Amino acid sequence: ERGINVSGINNSPIKAVNPKYPWLKSNKHTKQLEVSDWLTMEIKDFVKYISPSEKEIEARNSVVRRLNDAIMSLWPDAELHCFGSYSTDLYLPGSDIDTVVISKGHKYDNRASLYKLSTYLRVHKLGKRIETIAKAKVPIIKFVDPETGYHIDISFERDNGLTAAQIIISWIKSTPGLRELVMIVKQFLSVRRLNEVHTGGLGGFSIICLVYSFLRLHPRIVTGSIDPMDNLGVLLIEFFELYGFNFGYDNVAIAFKNKTQPIYIPKTSNQNLLNRNPFFLAIQDPQDPTNNISRGTFNLRDIKRSFGGAYEMLVNKCYEMNNATYKQRLGESILGDVIKFKGKARDFVDA
Amino acid sequence: NNCPDKRHYNYCTYCNSRTHSTDRCPNIWRSYIVKKISHDSSVRRDMYPSGLIFCYNCGHEGHFGDNCPFPRVSRTPNINGSAFTGENLPREFRNLYRVRLSEVKRR
Ligand SMILES: [Zn+2]
Ligand SMILES: [Zn+2]
Repeated sequence: ERGINVSGINNSPIKAVNPKYPWLKSNKHTKQLEVSDWLTMEIKDFVKYISPSEKEIEARNSVVRRLNDAIMSLWPDAELHCFGSYSTDLYLPGSDIDTVVISKGHKYDNRASLYKLSTYLRVHKLGKRIETIAKAKVPIIKFVDPETGYHIDISFERDNGLTAAQIIISWIKSTPGLRELVMIVKQFLSVRRLNEVHTGGLGGFSIICLVYSFLRLHPRIVTGSIDPMDNLGVLLIEFFELYGFNFGYDNVAIAFKNKTQPIYIPKTSNQNLLNRNPFFLAIQDPQDPTNNISRGTFNLRDIKRSFGGAYEMLVNKCYEMNNATYKQRLGESILGDVIKFKGKARDFVDA
Repeated sequence: NNCPDKRHYNYCTYCNSRTHSTDRCPNIWRSYIVKKISHDSSVRRDMYPSGLIFCYNCGHEGHFGDNCPFPRVSRTPNINGSAFTGENLPREFRNLYRVRLSEVKRR
């Protein structure tokens, strides 16, 4: 109902208006009448900015191809598959490539195979800094690709990551705004090192479930009254509002009807989702109701606190900018404090 | 109370609220760009999101977290209200939502 033009993103390679916020190409945001529209534009620009370029996509694909060839020459009946953020197009620059070796008879699900492949990679110089982690719940080989520097994980004979990737891809296709908000929340958590499951952080699939259920249960979205892509700014703040202040982590679990429609259920209705600690995030695995996707997230307290902090930062900046003059707005960013991107400068044109 | 500005500080002339000042009104950022839709109310009534209204506080179906009849679980207060309230439904659904809420309470 408000006649504000949120499209028309300018692709010309202008120098960033403020080196602190390299995703801002111009001051066009600051002309927005409403601060939430300004934030929406910044989110779109930032997502464009951190999305991989053609070159990066090609480099990653060739790493995977090279590895797949190597594995097939070692084990002709096996194949290397990608899962995780790499296969769902939700990866941040420099994130790991998650792969899994799969064969028909699940022949390579053993320690001998783990060490055999790790030796093979070393001998053929396919990886440096190779670590073989045999004692973990999911044994893996971790290494760095010598040509590109990408970090690669190889696990064995587990296809649940592949099915999860299929589910995520279908959610993204059917849910405008999901990809954008997930990228922002991922970046937010990764800057604060709260996105690694082995240190109690929030894993990629859990982040997706939080954003997806938030969008799919939002009163304005379930009634079709807003287009999420036009309202990313408000929605991002409301995401942090929900999980930073309001969500009843002690009582509520996120679950999925028919693997697609998110719902809330009381934790007590599924014993598998209860934990000794009541303040614990519970997300019922859409593929397996006995599994809590976020069972490794034992640092919920810091995650909740950081979400609350993000809410405060965003709304305070909104109030400040709402009162500011045009001159005071120049070079400013609403999103900046939340995502604090410290990567090398990227080229907008091929992003 | 020796702060002369306190009363002024906690009053919003925009929404007549005493929980915040005008320059910190949530409406400054919670302003949606709403889709243009048909005003045929009979069509819209069928779109009432039955089965899609869940409570972030207790996990039950039928009401939003801000309207939960059970004690609040989160230790952080919810002073100004959130996105998950019947008030955030489009106007034509708010009455039906209120009616259904009171029906549940009576049962
Ligand atoms: Zn107000
Ligand atoms: Zn409730």
